[in-house]
Amino acid sequence: MAFDPKFIRNFSIVAHIDHGKSTLADQLLLQSGAISQREFREQLLDDMDLERERGITIKARAVAINYTLEGQLYELNLIDTPGHVDFNYEVSRSLAACEGAILLVDCTQGVQAQTVANAYLAINGNLSIVPVLNKIDMQAARPDDVKEELFNTLGVNPDEVLACSAKTGEGVGEIFKAIIARVPHPAGNPSAPLRALIFDSKFDDYQGVVTYVRVVDGHLKVGQKIRLMAGGTTYEVTGLGRFRPHEVACEELGVGQVGYVTANIKQLADVRIGDTMTEHPRGAESPLPGYQEPVQVVYCGLFPATHNQFEDLRTALQKLALNDCSFTFEPETSDALGFGFRCGFLGMLHMEIVQQRLERESNLFLVQTAPNVTYEILTKRNEVLHIANPTRIPDAGDIEEFREPMARVNFILPSDCIGAIMQLCEDRRGTYIKTEYMTPTRAILSYELPLAEMIYDLYDKLKSATRGYGTMDYELIGYRADELCRLDILVAGEKVDALSIVVHKAHADRRGRRLVKKLRAEIGRHQFEVAIQAAIGSRVVARETISALRKNVTAKCYGGDVSRKRKLLEKQKEGKKRMKQVGNVEISQEAFLSVLDDGDE
Amino acid sequence: MDTIFVGGGTPTRLTPAQLERLLSVIRIHFPLAAGGEWTVEANPGTLDADKSDVLAAGGVNRVSLGAQSFQPRLLAALERNHNPEDVPRALDLIRPRFPFWSFDLIFGVPGSTPADWSEDLRIALSLDPSHLSCYGLVYEKGTALWKQREAGLVTPVEEDFEVEMYTETIDVLANAGLSMYEISNFARPGHESRHNLVYWANDAYFGVGLGAARYLEGVRSINTRDLQAYLKRVEAGGDPTGPSETLGPEERARETATLMLRRTQAGLDRAEFELKTGFAIDELSRAAIAKHVRGGLLEDDGLRLRLTRQGVFLADTVLCDLL
Repeated sequence: MAFDPKFIRNFSIVAHIDHGKSTLADQLLLQSGAISQREFREQLLDDMDLERERGITIKARAVAINYTLEGQLYELNLIDTPGHVDFNYEVSRSLAACEGAILLVDCTQGVQAQTVANAYLAINGNLSIVPVLNKIDMQAARPDDVKEELFNTLGVNPDEVLACSAKTGEGVGEIFKAIIARVPHPAGNPSAPLRALIFDSKFDDYQGVVTYVRVVDGHLKVGQKIRLMAGGTTYEVTGLGRFRPHEVACEELGVGQVGYVTANIKQLADVRIGDTMTEHPRGAESPLPGYQEPVQVVYCGLFPATHNQFEDLRTALQKLALNDCSFTFEPETSDALGFGFRCGFLGMLHMEIVQQRLERESNLFLVQTAPNVTYEILTKRNEVLHIANPTRIPDAGDIEEFREPMARVNFILPSDCIGAIMQLCEDRRGTYIKTEYMTPTRAILSYELPLAEMIYDLYDKLKSATRGYGTMDYELIGYRADELCRLDILVAGEKVDALSIVVHKAHADRRGRRLVKKLRAEIGRHQFEVAIQAAIGSRVVARETISALRKNVTAKCYGGDVSRKRKLLEKQKEGKKRMKQVGNVEISQEAFLSVLDDGDE
Repeated sequence: MDTIFVGGGTPTRLTPAQLERLLSVIRIHFPLAAGGEWTVEANPGTLDADKSDVLAAGGVNRVSLGAQSFQPRLLAALERNHNPEDVPRALDLIRPRFPFWSFDLIFGVPGSTPADWSEDLRIALSLDPSHLSCYGLVYEKGTALWKQREAGLVTPVEEDFEVEMYTETIDVLANAGLSMYEISNFARPGHESRHNLVYWANDAYFGVGLGAARYLEGVRSINTRDLQAYLKRVEAGGDPTGPSETLGPEERARETATLMLRRTQAGLDRAEFELKTGFAIDELSRAAIAKHVRGGLLEDDGLRLRLTRQGVFLADTVLCDLL
């Protein structure tokens, strides 16, 4: 017999990064007895090394918690969500499996940009919100201010706001009660054909693809034939289970229940997140509403530092794609860098994580080109091109209209920092939209900014301009035409395609001058003089020269010096590992990335 | 022993009696083969007639004198405690007693100019040496100069000046019959330091004493530099060896290549290299050799690789690619 859905609650925790989501999740597990004090360890739900290091939950997880209230056993399914803006789409798909969400706010820091963004995702998904203040045991806690911020930004009734300390466990009992009282139970039809929402998946070396599902109608049983409605493929269920938080197998999942399914699915690409799993041959008539597909917003080229590692890189990317279907890659050839891949990511953090995992897990040295966005170009022949690689941008004469992706950015920041951030946005071709005050000292500032102007370091700049108190969130709002052009870089007279960037015409000369200066510092000296030029079409806008290296020799090398001397040479050699030979010039990884940072003179 | 080298800078600080004892201990444990080379380093400020007599009588046949510079202010910058006049005085003691001798000079000392260096070379040649070592100053981590440079107290000589000084060294010494046979060493034919050639062939050597390095059966090791620990261990009949390092066959071969190429005349002979290491240099470093031959830093006559004139100036650029 399946568990009566009346006593099931499916919920997520949404919060701004570092507001204590993982700690609260651990505390809920601890207080419900799902784990013992002995097993209680920090960030229990984050089991990838990289996540642990960064304190960020990347892959959503689902844990089934038993909780008894007034003699009644409840099944509470906690579906974890990531907090970083890059992983917004993962938040939305986790929320689609829930009826409610805890909106967790660190009451020493108050409402932040992702608090608002994630709360809206939950509200728009018709979820019941349980607002909870965290860290009330801290001296700097200011619960009344934060309640006011919640009311002003999200219309949250201050009387409904709970308070807790996820660290000490204070107030957590009230949270259980509120979830049971305020979050609706699942309302599915147990006798209808199976409909289960696939909200995540992972690849396991032994079991193949493991899908995470939420049963909406009907039920899932081991041995049952299933069909993925969008994919049209059929499988037989080989295993079912729940996370408590460790995997516990079960025979059946009924209405409202959340768990994992294995069905001899060979590769991750066979499963579309958001697809509906139904039974076969008696299938449901219509699938559940799917949700937002991941959108890659940042692209970069990844090239092996040594020529013969192209296939190794392909293998490594394929392997990584088994676990992360949110990045894309396709082969690309660069005159300067040889064979590599153009990869698309959800954001800068995502890009960094993928690159680190590639190097860490596959022992590859990579050269990465500067990240860029996708441009839309209307040619004179009336074609519309989408180009994610600046090298491929046609000559200026063939372009009718050059369009770039725009983002609507919301900053939440102390009011006295508004001026600094407005200046930052104006410098980056932003269009002011509005300012709203949450409280007299904290405001939401909205701008429209070209995505290209914000992907690299806007977040860091915001943090430093607001002493760490500012946060931001953005959404893409489509393309807009502007006076853009491609700026090329020539090293020793040769155009280095991987260094080309797209710039606004009004800033092109200044940008070019700054860029060649930076490259002059980043490209090492050679035995000959090396000229670096920036050019738009055939017009050179800036030039610098790197003087020749004339002496590089260790004078003394006798018996006692040999080891030390060899280590010094090895160090010189190590520095060359990430270098690419372009013509006669060796260009370092740092040089390829230096085209990015144009913030400071 | 084919060659013996008593170094460490200042063996001549010992009294004649101590020196005599040191030499006799060496003779007992490491007798010199007939025709062998026995070098002792000497400090111009501490060498006297008695010590010279003891060295010559004890079997030493080569003296290496640490002259460094003939300019008082540069000697001060190098923190040497002898005077320029000490060098000819010491050589007057050395010449009649030893068939082979050499002295060291350093160029590129902070505050020096190419004119200073020309003057040093002129004085050096006036003393008619058959062997000279000329080192471009290296800021070694941990030394006083390194710390001064880090603290901004001294400014290294400009690279263009260093190049000028090194160029002049090679040319002026060659004109005087002293040809470069290693990056920093110059000699009349037949007067090369046989001991140091062992290092650049990556051959084996013993090492005895505080901080001494040895290379035996492919293992590099070095004695502790801590005098108290050294004495304690030796007196207890123990081994004063500190860190040691054993390279794999390929790493050892690569290291051999970087050492052999320091020999600017002998260079790296393909057959000798393969015999010694078991590897063909072209299998190990084909691309790097091609690149540097093309770039004019290496010359290759088919049998032998050698640094070119420009390659000598950029030796580390070439050698690191061979590792």
